[in-house]
This record gives sequence, C-alpha cells and structure tokens, in this order.
Amino acid sequence: MNKTLLRDGSQLKACLPDRQAKVSPFRGRFTLVLRTVPAICLLLIACVGCSPKPKVYIQKLKNSQYRLIVDRKPYVVKGVCYNPIPIGKNHEYDWWSDPDKPWLVDGKLMKEMGINTIRLYQSHEDIEEVKTVIRDLYERFGVRTIIGSWLGFWEYPCPFYGDNKFRERIKKEVLDMVTALKDEPGILLWVLGNENNYSCIGTVNPWSSEEIDKEPDPQKQKAMRANTYYSFVNDIAKDIHKIDPNHPVALGNGELTGLEYANKAAPDVDLVACIIYRGKTFGNLFRSLKATFDKPILLSEFGADCYDAYLKKEDQDMQAFFLESQWRQIYENLAGKNDGVGNCLGGTIFEWTDEWWKHDENNPDSWNTCDTSSNWSNGSYYFDIKAEGNKNMNEEWFGIVAMSKNPDGGLDIRTPRKSYYVIREFWKSPQLKHNNKKRK
Amino acid sequence: MKKLVMMLAVLALAIPAFSLAEENAADVKKEFVVYADKNSRVNHYIPSGWMGDYGDIKMNDQSADNPHSGTTSIQFVYSGKRTQNNGWAGVYWQNPANNWGNKKGGFDLSGMNKLTFWARGAKGGEVLQKVMVGGIKGTYPDSSVVEMGPIELTDTWKEYTVNLSDKDLSYINGGFGWTTTADLNPDGATFYIDDIKFESDSALKPEGKKQEALPLYVYSDRSSARNHYIPSGWMGDYGDIKYDGSSKEDPYLGDTCIKLVYNALKAQGAGWAGIFWQNPANNWGTVDGGFDLSKATKLTFWARGAKGGERIEEFKVGGIMGEFSDSDSAVIGPVILDKEWKQYTIDLKGKDMSYIIGGFCWSANVDNNPEGATFYLDEIKFE
Repeated sequence: MNKTLLRDGSQLKACLPDRQAKVSPFRGRFTLVLRTVPAICLLLIACVGCSPKPKVYIQKLKNSQYRLIVDRKPYVVKGVCYNPIPIGKNHEYDWWSDPDKPWLVDGKLMKEMGINTIRLYQSHEDIEEVKTVIRDLYERFGVRTIIGSWLGFWEYPCPFYGDNKFRERIKKEVLDMVTALKDEPGILLWVLGNENNYSCIGTVNPWSSEEIDKEPDPQKQKAMRANTYYSFVNDIAKDIHKIDPNHPVALGNGELTGLEYANKAAPDVDLVACIIYRGKTFGNLFRSLKATFDKPILLSEFGADCYDAYLKKEDQDMQAFFLESQWRQIYENLAGKNDGVGNCLGGTIFEWTDEWWKHDENNPDSWNTCDTSSNWSNGSYYFDIKAEGNKNMNEEWFGIVAMSKNPDGGLDIRTPRKSYYVIREFWKSPQLKHNNKKRK
Repeated sequence: MKKLVMMLAVLALAIPAFSLAEENAADVKKEFVVYADKNSRVNHYIPSGWMGDYGDIKMNDQSADNPHSGTTSIQFVYSGKRTQNNGWAGVYWQNPANNWGNKKGGFDLSGMNKLTFWARGAKGGEVLQKVMVGGIKGTYPDSSVVEMGPIELTDTWKEYTVNLSDKDLSYINGGFGWTTTADLNPDGATFYIDDIKFESDSALKPEGKKQEALPLYVYSDRSSARNHYIPSGWMGDYGDIKYDGSSKEDPYLGDTCIKLVYNALKAQGAGWAGIFWQNPANNWGTVDGGFDLSKATKLTFWARGAKGGERIEEFKVGGIMGEFSDSDSAVIGPVILDKEWKQYTIDLKGKDMSYIIGGFCWSANVDNNPEGATFYLDEIKFE
C-alpha cells in the first residue's frame, strides 16, 4: 500500500480515512504536496548520503566475472602504450612540452581507429603539462589515460623495497601524483609498477635486505622479497583509495610471476596490469590468474614487432596476424563471453609509434634510424625465429604507426601500419573465429 | 507395360552390379604400399635413408624368416655399438632413393588417413624409439610429420597404426621411418618389419591427444621404454654441459640415473646453461607434439649433488613457446642440492597440462656455480 501511496496521489486519496476524504480536493492536493515534498527531499538526501558509485570501478558479477564500469557503462579498454619520442631523440626527451604537441595528431588518429585509452608509464615533473595532455586527449578525442609509476624500479643502484625511507619517498611521489590528477575527467586508472616483480626473483634489478640475506634458502629469499614488494604495493593502493575513491588501482606485473604471493600480500589492489609477450595466444593466462590471484586483468603491454629478422625486411602482415589473434583472445575472455574466463578488461597494445632510440640508447647517431638489429629472442613469435642466434624481436619496430622524418621539419610523419586497420576493423565487428594464417 | 517392367528389372539387376564395380575401384585407391615383399611391383619407397649410427645397422630386405605375409619381410639388426658416436640410428623409406629433400619426388597421398605396418622382435622386448611418416626437410620438404613411439616389440607379429587423419599428405617423400637408441637397446636389437602401407579408413577419426595415464615418466632408466621425453633442448652455454643418461654412479632406483656436469666455462658466453626434455626431440614449439598430461597434479624427481651445495636456478615443466606452445608452465627454484638423494616436487594443481612439449627442464648459472656443478637426476615422472 505504501508503495502505491508514494507513487500516485489519486490513489492516495482513495486510501485515506473517510474523515479526510470529505474535505476539499484542493486541500487534499495541497496536503499531499506538503507531505510528499519533504519525503522526496528526505529520499534524495538519503540517496546523496549513500556512497555514490565511483566514476570508474570494477564490477564483480554474480558469475564471478569482472567488468570495468566507467560513467555507469561497461568499458572495454581498447588502448595503446604511448611514448611519442621523436626520431633522433631518446627516452630523456621531454615530449610533454614538445611545441608540436604530438598527442593532438596522434589523438585524432587514435579516435579514427577506435582507441579509447592510452597508457602512460610514468607521470612528469611538470604536472600542469601532464594535465594538458590528459585533458586534450579526453576532451578532443574521447581518449582516456591510464597513468603509472615505476615505483623507483629504474633508480640506481636498485629499488630497496625493504627500506622504509625508500618506500616512504616512493609512496609520497605516487600519492602526490594521484592528488594532482585524480580530478581530471580523462583519468581511467592507476598502475603501480611495471615488471618490478622480476626484481624479486633476481632477474632484473635485484635487491635484498639484511633480513633476507640472513635466510639461507634461496626459495625462501624469493618469497620474502615478493612479500615485501607486494605488501608495499598494497600499502600504496590502500592510501590511493583513501584520497581517490573514483579510480581503480592496478598492480603492474611481468607475466603472472609471483602473483601467488600477491594473493596474500596485496588484497587491496583492484586489478592486475600484466606485460605478456606470448605470440599468437595468451595460453592459460586468464584461467591461471583466476586460480592464483582472483583479480581482473588488463593486458597492459602486449603486441608484436613488424620486422622479420630472418628475411630482414619489414613484415606488417606478421604484426597484424599476432595482434588480431591477441585481441581475439582478449575479447573471448571479457565478461559475458561463452568460452572465456570473463576476467579480462581489455588491453593496451605496445605500442603506438616506433621508438628509434631503443636498440642503443647511448648512441645518439643510432637514434636517426629504425634499427633492424635484434637483441632478444622469443619463440612465440615464430615466423622469424630462424634469425641468427634466434634473435627475432626488433625493439624499434613495435609501433602500429610508423614514423618518418618530416622534410619540412616539425612533427615526424605518422603512417598507420596494417595492424592499425586490422584492429580497427576487429573492434568494429569482433570475429572470434580462429584464423591461423597471416593475411596478405 | 511389359517393356517397362522388363526395363526396371534389368535396371534393378544392373545397378547393384555397377555399384560393386565402383566400390572395387575405390578399394584399389584405398591403399598405397610402402613395402609388401622384396621386388613387389607395388612397393613405392626405398629404405635408403640411413641415419645416426648407420654403421650399427644391418638390413636384409628379403628375409624369409617367418614373414608376416608373402615370401619376405625386412630384417634389421641394430648393434647399438655407436659406430658413428651418435647413440642412435634409424632408416627412412624415401622416394626416390636417398632423397633428403634435395629433389622433387615423393607422392601426393591426400585421401589416405593412416599408415599401418607389422613388426616383431627376434626375442621380444626390443624398443623402437619412434616411427615416423614424413618429416624430411630440405628444399622440397614433406608436407607433414607424424611420429609415434616408443614401441616395445613382442616376439610375434603385431600390427601398428599411425593415425594420419587431418594431416596434410600432399607431399610425402619420407614414406616411413624408424629410429632407436643404444640406451633403449643396450644389447642391440634384431627386429622385422613387413606390409607397410598407407590406407584410407572412413571409420577412423582424427586422433585428439588422449589424456595420458599416470605415472608418465620423463626418465626412468636409460633403456626404459617408459621414457617419454628426449633431453634435446640444450640452452645457453651448451658447450659447458656433459650429459650422461646411463650413469651407474649410485642411481636412486634401477640401473642408471642421469649425470650432468656443468663446467661453467661460458663456452657460448651466456653465463648460464640448461637442458629441456622435449617431445619430439628438438621441438621448440615448431611442430605439433607433446602429451596431454591433464591428469597430472605434480611432477616429482630425485636429485643430488656430487658435493652438495650445487645451486640449480630452476627446475621447470612446460613453458616452451612457439607456434605450438606448451599450455602452461610451473617452476621451482633456486634449489640447493644435498649430497644425498632428495625428492623434489613441482606442484601442477590448477595448471593446464593438456599440451606439454617441454616435459622437464633445469638451468644453472655461473654466478652461483663459479666452479661448475656436477649433479644427478633420477625417476622424473608426472603423477
């Protein structure tokens, strides 16, 4: 009855006691207004009082699948890693203050492709410049920004995750960044670390502490380092949630390595953002994550180069083949798909444009050519695995947009590669049927 | 009307007869002979491709000693003496003879979906490491490679079938082949093969990988037919490794164990080394292979160091990535070995073990073994 009463004034009259039914209809309506307006106000106040849904959050569905919600709508991250270093410069170049504003040209191309997100690995010391980039991309092209922190991973001599001073300093840097950027409408989420977990097993930037050094068993040492690192990430995630409830916090991780420790040490991160280079298939990635650390996953770095190190020539078909296959698997594992795990939120392809400095970052002469030398091997990218020494991965050829020098000066010319168009078409109409051949 | 009835009667009698003729014609096309009998006109391939320790092989292609059918079978005597120092030997049937993919030859066998052959050992217990169809590379490579094995022969004739369903048989120069090893046959082996032929069998279905029964051994003993993977994937400073799969230095169980000597001299300049046990040999995800080990919940093995204190960075299952990648990987390490045998376990619960090419792996490095390391492994198995 109360429901009817609140919903419809005329029925209210019918439900009132006879005593009131005899008074003027006018008065009755006035009484109704007098009674319902405060009730509505109270309801509104109550609604406002309830914690509103965050702007961006992760929704866990009844079937234990996950999806990302942005402005109350499901959102699949269709992104690229973005680091627009021009030809002739290296990673130290301050592109944020580039007078050519590369993000304006890139943003237009991204929008045309269907990209809705970029991933930036790290913020910049001039936070106003960062805001300008985020704002330009969002307001002009609808492209949102994922922004991360290296968590001191590349500091010399190594990241001391067991040292309180180091931890406090890094945490402050991250929280300052979050505080400064959290109200930017273009921000999508935060990523803590990249592949810092490899430092725990000693393969990259190894570190230790007195306590860890005292442990004679190297397997236990590894576990101690992992627990220390993931607990640190968890502390930062908790503090971010306090100052910014509107954006999820991701744990950046190389592969799934070490996540069995994160399961206990980092329960407060909202998702994992993994770097995965497994060729045409992600294999058991989604299911394996579900079993070890039940959080949703963003493929925050994946892709393929477009240089055939065996035949020694550019091969855009090869890159497009791998990327399409990878996106197919991402889509198969989004929430609501029949055959997947439903824990994938999307991905950010590595990367938007080639970076010509990467093969030899200490040799400025080499930054003016897209170097065809390879310095690492990955059998998953099997078309050119017969290259000398099996070195088939060409670090400077990962862009889905090629660059060339502009004869008139100014911004380097952007030329989309085949994968740009193939993925554009895939996003328009995702075909999940498997295709095992390179398209010509 | 009579005429019509007569015509129908004639047709009724004629149609089955015509169909029968068609069926016979199809039957003719339903098989393609590799070897039937010495000098048989239907033989299509020649057992000319001798491999490995070819000096260990003697062949009599007109053995009249109890052939399976006809008047002859082929007798092979494998001495296992490692004449060419390889430890293995084998023979390919090729077309034309000695064609290692350097010339156009072979046959288009599209439409066939299995190869059958009969084999027996002189005593029983002889072990073929594998038999192959296709797989010859070169300028004119075979369109497929299918392998089956190991096969432990009995002393009576037995038919074996290689399922070729869904395989591209459009160009097959290596019609059939076998290999075996001295480890599998330390005292040599005498065996007979007969009636090798491709067939078309409409009832045969593609052979999905069957879930292997457990335990499944990676290594049991040097001559065990139960060994399923081959220690062929040498990595990093491979020149720093010496592998002995038949060490008799205090094996944990059986006659032999594996002895590994890593001298840490950085022969290839990598600073580390290791070995993957693969199936088939040298498979870095380049060919379809491996086993469905979905039922396995763990891999166990026994290990000890020669002195104790040797540090192995990783013991691993799976993780080979290629066109045919392993379905998952699991790893333990670093492990510091004791001087005494100790069992180690790699937990596979929750792992997708449905497709495993790389059955087992170890790796060690110079940094943690500056003086090198000698260690032993035994009884490596999925359970």
